[in-house]
Amino acid sequence: MHSPLWPTPPKLSLGLRDGDHPGPVEIRLAARSSELGRMRAWVSEAAALLGCDGKSRFEFVVAINEAVTNAIRHGTPADDGTIGVRLESDGGAIVCSVCDGGPFVPPSQRSDPTSDVGGRGFAFMAALTDELELVVNPGATVVRLRKQRTAEAHAGDA
Amino acid sequence: MGYLEVNYQEIDGDVRILRVAGDVDFDAAPQLKRHIMSRVDAGDRQFIVDLSAVEFIDSTAIGVLVGALRRLDANGGSLLVVCDNEDIRGIFETVGLEHVIPLHRSHEDAFAALAHAA
Repeated sequence: MHSPLWPTPPKLSLGLRDGDHPGPVEIRLAARSSELGRMRAWVSEAAALLGCDGKSRFEFVVAINEAVTNAIRHGTPADDGTIGVRLESDGGAIVCSVCDGGPFVPPSQRSDPTSDVGGRGFAFMAALTDELELVVNPGATVVRLRKQRTAEAHAGDA
Repeated sequence: MGYLEVNYQEIDGDVRILRVAGDVDFDAAPQLKRHIMSRVDAGDRQFIVDLSAVEFIDSTAIGVLVGALRRLDANGGSLLVVCDNEDIRGIFETVGLEHVIPLHRSHEDAFAALAHAA
């Protein structure tokens, strides 16, 4: 079932020459956990088109999934009930921004801080990306994740 | 709902194998939790959780495994993970979880670890 909220990534590849990377791509998804699988498929394909592959891509998808899961569980959707996921190139890295429409809820203020299924999301994001940034405004929370395209490029930077 | 499949197998002795396949994310983690906890509640104490056929795993699924492990630890039981999928193993290693949940490549290795601990 395809919803207009989900543009298909393959069209991004149109008109690209070798070495080109497409500009920012963005999707909006309904803030429901049942949307996570489709979100991951989209992000994985978009990351590949932006030149991120292999282990780096898998780690990035896991990290982005954590940010989106947090936005679904603890965030406030935009007025249309959605949250946004945006990917863009930045030098040798890809930056993903996950945006919801409400204030940031710190883990200590969440409904069930002792739950054994929660509380590890930010640790995952930090371990699996090169940079993690949290931009908090009253009307929006953005989690920005940065990842080198390839594990080799990352090793070369070290 | 994403695709998740859990198969339960009783092995000679006290060991139980849970074979998990599919995507274990926040949407599917409650199913995994129900499967494991129903066996823990039934009195099973030795678990090998085989994640080799898992294609995706998130922190809530890891939380389910850690929760079950803690409960089993407190009752003299144990839980080991078997996984030969390098992507999934990589997540355990990068996040540092292989120090929390014992991670093995094969059932033979896991059985040897259980026998050694017994």
